[in-house]
Amino acid sequence: MAVSAIKNTANRVQQAFYNVMPNFVAGKKADKFYKTSGREISSAENRLILGVTALMSQPFIDFYNRKIDEDTRRVAVCRTVAKIIAGTLTGYAVRKGTIKGMQMCSQLPGNGVPRWKTLFTPKDVKKIDTDEFKQYQNALGTYISLGVMVFTNFLIDAPLTKFLTNKFNEKVVEKKSGGTK
Amino acid sequence: MNLDKVLSNLYKNYGENPGKMLVHTGTAGWILSCAAQLMAIWTNDKIPPEQKTFLIPQELGDGLINILSFYILTSSVKNLSSKAVLNGKIANKAIRKYLEKHNLTDKIGKIDFNIKKTEHFGDIKEDFNAFKNGVDVIASTAGSILSCNIVTPILRNEYAAKQQVAANNVLAQKKENEKTPYNRFTMKDYQSILRHPGMRI
Repeated sequence: MAVSAIKNTANRVQQAFYNVMPNFVAGKKADKFYKTSGREISSAENRLILGVTALMSQPFIDFYNRKIDEDTRRVAVCRTVAKIIAGTLTGYAVRKGTIKGMQMCSQLPGNGVPRWKTLFTPKDVKKIDTDEFKQYQNALGTYISLGVMVFTNFLIDAPLTKFLTNKFNEKVVEKKSGGTK
Repeated sequence: MNLDKVLSNLYKNYGENPGKMLVHTGTAGWILSCAAQLMAIWTNDKIPPEQKTFLIPQELGDGLINILSFYILTSSVKNLSSKAVLNGKIANKAIRKYLEKHNLTDKIGKIDFNIKKTEHFGDIKEDFNAFKNGVDVIASTAGSILSCNIVTPILRNEYAAKQQVAANNVLAQKKENEKTPYNRFTMKDYQSILRHPGMRI
Protein backbone atom coordinates (compact mmCIF):
# COMPACT_ATOMS: atom_id res chain seq x y z
CA MET A 1 0.00 0.00 0.00
CA ALA A 2 2.65 2.48 1.15
CA VAL A 3 5.00 1.27 -1.60
CA SER A 4 2.43 1.83 -4.33
CA ALA A 5 1.62 5.29 -2.93
CA ILE A 6 5.34 6.20 -3.06
CA LYS A 7 5.58 4.79 -6.58
CA ASN A 8 2.54 6.80 -7.72
CA THR A 9 3.94 9.99 -6.25
CA ALA A 10 7.35 9.34 -7.86
CA ASN A 11 5.62 8.75 -11.21
CA ARG A 12 3.61 11.97 -10.86
CA VAL A 13 6.78 13.95 -10.04
CA GLN A 14 8.57 12.41 -13.03
CA GLN A 15 5.62 13.14 -15.31
CA ALA A 16 5.56 16.75 -14.12
CA PHE A 17 9.29 16.96 -14.90
CA TYR A 18 8.80 15.64 -18.46
CA ASN A 19 5.80 17.98 -18.95
CA VAL A 20 7.93 21.05 -18.33
CA MET A 21 11.01 19.68 -20.09
CA PRO A 22 11.22 21.04 -23.65
CA ASN A 23 11.48 18.56 -26.53
CA PHE A 24 15.04 18.19 -27.76
CA VAL A 25 15.80 16.96 -31.25
CA ALA A 26 19.53 16.54 -31.82
CA GLY A 27 20.85 17.95 -35.08
CA LYS A 28 23.43 16.19 -37.20
CA LYS A 29 26.44 17.39 -35.16
CA ALA A 30 24.85 16.70 -31.76
CA ASP A 31 23.71 13.26 -32.94
CA LYS A 32 27.27 12.43 -34.03
CA PHE A 33 28.63 13.76 -30.71
CA TYR A 34 26.26 11.56 -28.68
CA LYS A 35 26.93 8.45 -30.74
CA THR A 36 30.71 8.92 -30.62
CA SER A 37 30.58 9.55 -26.86
CA GLY A 38 28.54 6.39 -26.29
CA ARG A 39 31.02 4.36 -28.31
CA GLU A 40 34.31 5.92 -27.22
CA ILE A 41 33.93 7.13 -23.62
CA SER A 42 34.85 4.24 -21.37
CA SER A 43 35.36 4.49 -17.63
CA ALA A 44 38.98 5.57 -18.27
CA GLU A 45 37.96 8.65 -20.26
CA ASN A 46 35.18 9.25 -17.75
CA ARG A 47 37.80 9.30 -14.95
CA LEU A 48 39.93 11.74 -16.94
CA ILE A 49 36.98 14.10 -17.51
CA LEU A 50 36.11 13.88 -13.80
CA GLY A 51 39.71 14.69 -12.86
CA VAL A 52 39.98 17.72 -15.14
CA THR A 53 36.65 19.16 -13.99
CA ALA A 54 37.58 18.38 -10.38
CA LEU A 55 40.67 20.58 -10.75
CA MET A 56 38.40 23.39 -11.93
CA SER A 57 36.01 23.18 -8.97
CA GLN A 58 37.24 21.40 -5.83
CA PRO A 59 40.27 23.58 -4.95
CA PHE A 60 38.03 26.67 -5.09
CA ILE A 61 35.40 25.04 -2.86
CA ASP A 62 38.15 24.27 -0.32
CA PHE A 63 39.70 27.73 -0.69
CA TYR A 64 36.42 29.51 0.08
CA ASN A 65 35.55 27.24 3.03
CA ARG A 66 35.52 29.91 5.76
CA LYS A 67 34.69 27.44 8.51
CA ILE A 68 38.33 26.47 8.98
CA ASP A 69 41.42 28.53 9.76
CA GLU A 70 43.77 29.81 7.05
CA ASP A 71 46.56 27.28 7.64
CA THR A 72 44.23 24.29 7.54
CA ARG A 73 42.59 25.73 4.43
CA ARG A 74 45.94 26.09 2.67
CA VAL A 75 46.88 22.48 3.41
CA ALA A 76 43.38 21.33 2.39
CA VAL A 77 43.69 23.05 -1.02
CA CYS A 78 47.17 21.57 -1.58
CA ARG A 79 45.97 18.13 -0.54
CA THR A 80 42.89 18.34 -2.78
CA VAL A 81 44.97 19.30 -5.84
CA ALA A 82 47.51 16.57 -5.06
CA LYS A 83 44.78 13.98 -4.50
CA ILE A 84 43.07 14.86 -7.79
CA ILE A 85 46.31 14.69 -9.80
CA ALA A 86 47.46 11.42 -8.20
CA GLY A 87 43.98 9.84 -8.34
CA THR A 88 43.32 10.86 -11.93
CA LEU A 89 46.70 9.72 -13.27
CA THR A 90 46.55 6.35 -11.50
CA GLY A 91 42.82 5.85 -12.13
CA TYR A 92 43.11 6.62 -15.84
CA ALA A 93 46.24 4.50 -16.38
CA VAL A 94 44.91 1.48 -14.48
CA ARG A 95 41.48 1.56 -16.17
CA LYS A 96 42.97 2.07 -19.63
CA GLY A 97 45.46 -0.75 -19.01
CA THR A 98 42.92 -3.28 -17.79
CA ILE A 99 40.48 -2.43 -20.60
CA LYS A 100 43.28 -2.95 -23.17
CA GLY A 101 44.14 -6.20 -21.42
CA MET A 102 40.54 -7.40 -21.62
CA GLN A 103 40.38 -6.49 -25.31
CA MET A 104 43.40 -8.74 -25.84
CA CYS A 105 41.93 -11.59 -23.79
CA SER A 106 38.41 -11.59 -25.24
CA GLN A 107 38.78 -12.60 -28.88
CA LEU A 108 36.82 -15.19 -30.80
CA PRO A 109 38.29 -18.71 -30.73
CA GLY A 110 39.71 -19.81 -34.07
CA ASN A 111 42.76 -21.12 -35.88
CA GLY A 112 45.97 -19.55 -34.62
CA VAL A 113 44.27 -17.81 -31.69
CA PRO A 114 45.92 -18.92 -28.44
CA ARG A 115 43.65 -20.01 -25.58
CA TRP A 116 44.65 -17.12 -23.30
CA LYS A 117 43.30 -14.71 -25.90
CA THR A 118 39.81 -16.22 -25.53
CA LEU A 119 39.87 -16.46 -21.74
CA PHE A 120 37.22 -13.75 -21.19
CA THR A 121 35.07 -14.29 -24.30
CA PRO A 122 31.52 -15.27 -23.28
CA LYS A 123 30.61 -18.65 -24.81
CA ASP A 124 27.37 -17.41 -26.42
CA VAL A 125 29.04 -14.56 -28.37
CA LYS A 126 29.54 -15.11 -32.10
CA LYS A 127 30.51 -11.59 -33.21
CA ILE A 128 32.93 -9.25 -31.48
CA ASP A 129 33.14 -6.22 -33.78
CA THR A 130 29.94 -4.74 -32.32
CA ASP A 131 29.28 -1.80 -30.00
CA GLU A 132 27.74 -4.17 -27.45
CA PHE A 133 30.89 -6.26 -27.28
CA LYS A 134 33.08 -3.16 -26.94
CA GLN A 135 30.91 -2.03 -24.00
CA TYR A 136 31.24 -5.49 -22.48
CA GLN A 137 35.06 -5.28 -22.73
CA ASN A 138 34.95 -1.82 -21.13
CA ALA A 139 32.77 -3.10 -18.28
CA LEU A 140 34.93 -6.17 -17.65
CA GLY A 141 38.13 -4.13 -17.79
CA THR A 142 36.66 -1.56 -15.39
CA TYR A 143 35.60 -4.20 -12.85
CA ILE A 144 39.08 -5.75 -12.96
CA SER A 145 40.64 -2.29 -12.58
CA LEU A 146 38.71 -1.88 -9.33
CA GLY A 147 40.52 -4.94 -7.94
CA VAL A 148 43.87 -3.58 -9.17
CA MET A 149 43.15 -0.20 -7.61
CA VAL A 150 42.77 -1.74 -4.15
CA PHE A 151 46.56 -2.17 -4.32
CA THR A 152 47.48 0.95 -6.31
CA ASN A 153 45.53 3.05 -3.78
CA PHE A 154 48.14 2.10 -1.18
CA LEU A 155 51.17 1.70 -3.40
CA ILE A 156 50.85 4.71 -5.73
CA ASP A 157 47.93 7.02 -4.82
CA ALA A 158 48.65 7.54 -1.14
CA PRO A 159 52.45 8.13 -1.36
CA LEU A 160 52.09 10.28 -4.49
CA THR A 161 49.36 12.37 -2.82
CA LYS A 162 51.56 12.85 0.24
CA PHE A 163 54.59 13.80 -1.88
CA LEU A 164 52.64 16.28 -4.04
CA THR A 165 50.83 17.79 -1.01
CA ASN A 166 54.16 18.54 0.68
CA LYS A 167 55.63 19.96 -2.55
CA PHE A 168 52.63 22.25 -3.17
CA ASN A 169 52.51 23.31 0.46
CA GLU A 170 56.23 24.17 0.45
CA LYS A 171 55.74 26.25 -2.72
CA VAL A 172 52.78 28.15 -1.24
CA VAL A 173 54.60 28.86 2.04
CA GLU A 174 57.70 29.96 0.09
CA LYS A 175 55.63 32.28 -2.10
CA LYS A 176 53.82 33.72 0.90
CA SER A 177 57.03 34.51 2.72
CA GLY A 178 58.31 36.43 -0.31
CA GLY A 179 60.48 33.75 -1.89
CA THR A 180 62.60 33.00 1.17
CA LYS A 181 61.82 30.03 3.32
CA MET B 1 28.56 -19.37 -10.24
CA ASN B 2 31.20 -20.15 -12.89
CA LEU B 3 33.19 -17.68 -14.98
CA ASP B 4 31.09 -18.25 -18.13
CA LYS B 5 27.90 -17.26 -16.34
CA VAL B 6 29.56 -14.16 -14.87
CA LEU B 7 30.86 -13.11 -18.31
CA SER B 8 27.47 -13.74 -19.99
CA ASN B 9 25.71 -11.69 -17.30
CA LEU B 10 28.17 -8.84 -17.75
CA TYR B 11 27.62 -8.94 -21.52
CA LYS B 12 23.82 -8.94 -21.15
CA ASN B 13 23.76 -6.24 -18.47
CA TYR B 14 26.27 -3.77 -19.81
CA GLY B 15 26.57 -4.57 -23.53
CA GLU B 16 23.66 -2.27 -24.32
CA ASN B 17 23.95 -0.04 -21.30
CA PRO B 18 27.31 1.71 -20.84
CA GLY B 19 25.74 4.46 -18.69
CA LYS B 20 24.58 1.86 -16.15
CA MET B 21 28.09 0.40 -16.12
CA LEU B 22 29.60 3.82 -15.31
CA VAL B 23 27.19 4.28 -12.38
CA HIS B 24 27.74 0.75 -11.00
CA THR B 25 31.53 0.70 -11.34
CA GLY B 26 31.75 4.27 -10.02
CA THR B 27 29.79 3.31 -6.90
CA ALA B 28 31.86 0.14 -6.46
CA GLY B 29 34.99 2.28 -6.82
CA TRP B 30 33.86 4.65 -4.05
CA ILE B 31 33.02 1.68 -1.77
CA LEU B 32 36.46 0.14 -2.33
CA SER B 33 38.19 3.48 -1.87
CA CYS B 34 36.35 4.01 1.45
CA ALA B 35 37.22 0.46 2.54
CA ALA B 36 40.89 1.07 1.67
CA GLN B 37 40.97 4.29 3.73
CA LEU B 38 39.36 2.49 6.69
CA MET B 39 41.82 -0.38 6.41
CA ALA B 40 44.72 2.09 6.27
CA ILE B 41 43.63 3.67 9.56
CA TRP B 42 42.72 0.37 11.23
CA THR B 43 46.06 -1.29 10.43
CA ASN B 44 48.24 1.77 11.14
CA ASP B 45 50.17 1.00 14.34
CA LYS B 46 51.34 4.61 14.65
CA ILE B 47 47.79 5.81 15.35
CA PRO B 48 46.89 5.35 19.06
CA PRO B 49 43.65 3.36 19.72
CA GLU B 50 41.85 6.38 21.24
CA GLN B 51 42.47 8.35 18.02
CA LYS B 52 41.27 5.41 15.94
CA THR B 53 37.90 5.53 17.73
CA PHE B 54 37.52 9.05 16.32
CA LEU B 55 39.19 8.63 12.91
CA ILE B 56 37.33 5.46 11.87
CA PRO B 57 33.80 6.91 12.30
CA GLN B 58 35.01 10.13 10.63
CA GLU B 59 36.30 8.23 7.60
CA LEU B 60 33.14 6.11 7.56
CA GLY B 61 30.98 9.25 7.53
CA ASP B 62 33.09 10.76 4.77
CA GLY B 63 32.87 7.55 2.74
CA LEU B 64 29.09 7.30 3.17
CA ILE B 65 28.67 10.89 1.96
CA ASN B 66 30.79 10.08 -1.12
CA ILE B 67 29.01 6.83 -1.93
CA LEU B 68 25.43 8.06 -1.36
CA SER B 69 25.93 11.39 -3.11
CA PHE B 70 27.55 9.67 -6.10
CA TYR B 71 24.96 6.91 -6.41
CA ILE B 72 21.83 9.00 -5.79
CA LEU B 73 22.81 11.96 -7.98
CA THR B 74 24.49 10.11 -10.83
CA SER B 75 21.85 7.42 -11.15
CA SER B 76 19.02 10.01 -10.93
CA VAL B 77 20.49 12.16 -13.72
CA LYS B 78 21.22 9.06 -15.80
CA ASN B 79 17.73 7.53 -15.27
CA LEU B 80 15.89 10.78 -16.05
CA SER B 81 17.84 11.23 -19.29
CA SER B 82 17.51 7.58 -20.21
CA LYS B 83 13.72 7.71 -19.77
CA ALA B 84 13.59 10.96 -21.74
CA VAL B 85 15.11 9.11 -24.71
CA LEU B 86 12.77 6.13 -24.23
CA ASN B 87 9.68 8.38 -24.22
CA GLY B 88 10.91 10.53 -27.11
CA LYS B 89 11.55 13.79 -25.23
CA ILE B 90 15.20 13.60 -26.26
CA ALA B 91 15.61 12.28 -29.80
CA ASN B 92 17.57 12.59 -32.98
CA LYS B 93 16.05 13.29 -36.39
CA ALA B 94 15.71 9.62 -37.30
CA ILE B 95 13.85 8.81 -34.07
CA ARG B 96 11.56 11.84 -34.47
CA LYS B 97 10.81 10.83 -38.06
CA TYR B 98 9.99 7.30 -36.86
CA LEU B 99 7.55 8.68 -34.25
CA GLU B 100 5.86 10.91 -36.83
CA LYS B 101 5.62 8.12 -39.40
CA HIS B 102 3.85 5.82 -36.95
CA ASN B 103 1.61 8.54 -35.44
CA LEU B 104 3.22 8.31 -32.02
CA THR B 105 3.97 12.02 -31.49
CA ASP B 106 1.07 12.45 -29.02
CA LYS B 107 2.78 9.94 -26.70
CA ILE B 108 6.04 11.86 -26.49
CA GLY B 109 6.96 12.64 -22.88
CA LYS B 110 4.49 10.17 -21.29
CA ILE B 111 6.35 8.14 -18.65
CA ASP B 112 4.56 4.91 -19.58
CA PHE B 113 5.59 5.27 -23.23
CA ASN B 114 8.61 3.27 -24.36
CA ILE B 115 9.81 3.49 -27.96
CA LYS B 116 11.54 0.11 -27.56
CA LYS B 117 8.14 -1.53 -27.08
CA THR B 118 6.56 -0.07 -30.22
CA GLU B 119 5.60 -2.39 -33.07
CA HIS B 120 8.17 -1.34 -35.68
CA PHE B 121 11.08 -0.67 -33.34
CA GLY B 122 13.33 -2.94 -35.43
CA ASP B 123 13.36 -0.21 -38.12
CA ILE B 124 15.43 2.13 -35.95
CA LYS B 125 16.87 -0.24 -33.35
CA GLU B 126 20.54 0.28 -34.20
CA ASP B 127 20.31 4.05 -34.55
CA PHE B 128 18.20 4.34 -31.40
CA ASN B 129 20.55 2.20 -29.26
CA ALA B 130 23.65 4.10 -30.40
CA PHE B 131 21.96 7.44 -29.64
CA LYS B 132 20.61 6.27 -26.26
CA ASN B 133 24.01 4.90 -25.21
CA GLY B 134 25.53 8.29 -25.98
CA VAL B 135 22.90 10.18 -23.97
CA ASP B 136 23.34 7.71 -21.07
CA VAL B 137 27.13 8.14 -21.04
CA ILE B 138 26.94 11.95 -21.23
CA ALA B 139 24.26 12.02 -18.49
CA SER B 140 26.26 9.68 -16.23
CA THR B 141 29.38 11.79 -16.74
CA ALA B 142 27.46 15.01 -16.03
CA GLY B 143 25.86 13.42 -12.94
CA SER B 144 29.21 12.28 -11.61
CA ILE B 145 30.76 15.72 -12.20
CA LEU B 146 27.87 17.28 -10.26
CA SER B 147 28.13 14.82 -7.39
CA CYS B 148 31.91 14.25 -7.14
CA ASN B 149 33.11 17.76 -7.91
CA ILE B 150 30.43 20.03 -6.50
CA VAL B 151 27.96 18.44 -4.07
CA THR B 152 30.31 15.99 -2.30
CA PRO B 153 33.14 18.50 -1.58
CA ILE B 154 30.62 20.97 -0.13
CA LEU B 155 28.96 18.31 2.07
CA ARG B 156 32.34 16.87 3.05
CA ASN B 157 33.67 20.28 4.09
CA GLU B 158 30.57 20.87 6.23
CA TYR B 159 31.01 17.47 7.85
CA ALA B 160 34.78 17.89 8.32
CA ALA B 161 34.35 21.35 9.89
CA LYS B 162 31.87 19.91 12.42
CA GLN B 163 34.24 17.02 13.13
CA GLN B 164 37.13 19.44 13.61
CA VAL B 165 35.14 21.51 16.13
CA ALA B 166 34.18 18.32 18.01
CA ALA B 167 37.80 17.09 17.97
CA ASN B 168 39.10 20.45 19.23
CA ASN B 169 36.56 20.41 22.06
CA VAL B 170 37.66 16.92 23.11
CA LEU B 171 41.32 18.00 22.96
CA ALA B 172 40.66 21.16 25.00
CA GLN B 173 38.73 19.14 27.60
CA LYS B 174 41.59 16.64 27.82
CA LYS B 175 44.14 19.42 28.34
CA GLU B 176 41.93 20.98 30.99
CA ASN B 177 41.68 17.64 32.83
CA GLU B 178 45.45 17.25 32.74
CA LYS B 179 45.94 20.71 34.24
CA THR B 180 43.43 20.31 37.09
CA PRO B 181 45.62 18.59 39.76
CA TYR B 182 48.24 21.34 39.52
CA ASN B 183 46.00 24.35 39.15
CA ARG B 184 43.34 23.69 41.74
CA PHE B 185 44.68 23.97 45.24
CA THR B 186 41.71 23.32 47.49
CA MET B 187 41.17 24.12 51.16
CA LYS B 188 41.36 20.39 51.91
CA ASP B 189 44.86 20.20 50.33
CA TYR B 190 45.95 23.21 52.38
CA GLN B 191 44.70 21.66 55.64
CA SER B 192 46.42 18.40 54.76
CA ILE B 193 49.74 20.21 54.37
CA LEU B 194 49.28 21.99 57.69
CA ARG B 195 48.77 18.62 59.39
CA HIS B 196 52.29 17.59 58.32
CA PRO B 197 54.62 20.14 60.01
CA GLY B 198 57.79 18.57 58.63
CA MET B 199 56.78 19.50 55.10
CA ARG B 200 58.10 22.75 53.69
CA ILE B 201 56.04 24.84 51.41
